[in-house]
Amino acid sequence: MSPKWRVRIVIGLVAAVLAAALYFPILKKRVKRQALVQQKSEEQARRELTQSLNANSNEPKVKAKLFWAVDGDDSGLTPTTVELPLSNEPALRAKQVLNTLLAGPVDSELKTLPSDAALLAFYIFPDGTAVADFSEAMATSIPSGVQSEQLAVDSIIRTLAENVPQVKGLKILIHGQEVETLAGHLDLSSTFLVSTNIPVKK
Amino acid sequence: MLAGRIAARSQSSASGAPSASPPAAQRAGLNVVILDPAHGGTDPGARGTGGVRESDIVLDLAAQVKRGLEAQGFQVLQTRSGNEDPSFDDRSALVNAQTGAIFLSLHVSSTGLSGTVRVYAMPEMALPPMNGGLIPWEQAQAAYLPLSRRLGDAVQGELAQKFKGSPTEVQTASIRQLRTTAAPAIAVEISSVSIAEKADLDRMLPGVADAVVRGVVTFRPSYVTAAPASVSAPVVGVKP
Repeated sequence: MSPKWRVRIVIGLVAAVLAAALYFPILKKRVKRQALVQQKSEEQARRELTQSLNANSNEPKVKAKLFWAVDGDDSGLTPTTVELPLSNEPALRAKQVLNTLLAGPVDSELKTLPSDAALLAFYIFPDGTAVADFSEAMATSIPSGVQSEQLAVDSIIRTLAENVPQVKGLKILIHGQEVETLAGHLDLSSTFLVSTNIPVKK
Repeated sequence: MLAGRIAARSQSSASGAPSASPPAAQRAGLNVVILDPAHGGTDPGARGTGGVRESDIVLDLAAQVKRGLEAQGFQVLQTRSGNEDPSFDDRSALVNAQTGAIFLSLHVSSTGLSGTVRVYAMPEMALPPMNGGLIPWEQAQAAYLPLSRRLGDAVQGELAQKFKGSPTEVQTASIRQLRTTAAPAIAVEISSVSIAEKADLDRMLPGVADAVVRGVVTFRPSYVTAAPASVSAPVVGVKP
């Protein structure tokens, strides 16, 4: 091989290495962005699926009682009456009221659950024990603390107790998994008793 | 998953007293306070907009409470003294291995009325069947609930006097850390990391520490007289 060709080959190899070094970070970014878009789309799809249960319902409207925070300091719950088209089928009815609870009241300060959380699934066993499966955001976006985590769970339980009397107990899952706590404090390992005994401020 | 058996003697099992003889008046009663600064390590707990981290604040608070309790003659142990993050079970294991102990878990919330402090005990728990003096690790707190509430009321009462707007009685919340604790156990939560100035939160700490110490001192006589009969035998928890 002539020296001229040797130089050409070396230049070619150096160019290829440089091109790969430049292209690799761009490729990495693209893959990351694609994964994020896919994750967001999945989450959005779930939200649309569950929210459509309310929007497409032909059920007659009934007065439902939803429990949001009484003030911005998380000092307790207060009932708000909302007219909703609710199914008579308990699991579907539970999904409808919980999706409304997640959507929150007009005043966003009074929300008890994170804005980006979604209810992924809800089912009821014959003995009245229900399972509510929330998206990851329920645990990651909620403000950490005993008071805020308890208010979130209390609002779910109190809302179910008031509107779906067939539900006697509730097990909360996060993204299909059993978890130890909601966000580091409140114990989610056992089944909550669903009752109207949680005190509220009228 | 940790395995093995962790022994935790009840407060009335005087036979399990340490060999170094403490004063007779203390031997059968409350001798040890376990302070649990929550979170730590990679878990900062609640975070404020100004960079305030719950894990740091509770460590400062623990140091102040420790000084006050030691001045009152208590032996004080901590679940962490630096930036570690022991598991819930490891924190419980420390208290469950003690004789004559109580457990105080220290927290700062993300929300709540700034400048107030809330004390929590576990809600009603079904008393698990005792099997030869053993109770399940997962329900270790059940037998201690009446004492936990009494301790909580004593501490909350002191805090309510210093921090207006705080509740006057202990609150109930199903807190994971308290469930596996075989001793009177409460969580103390300051509101909050969202306070406008970190200096305001720092200024609260000596008052909170003082109220906690006073509450524990008030509770001390109840510890002997109100010991639940159902846990008079040595209590052994089995970790999963």
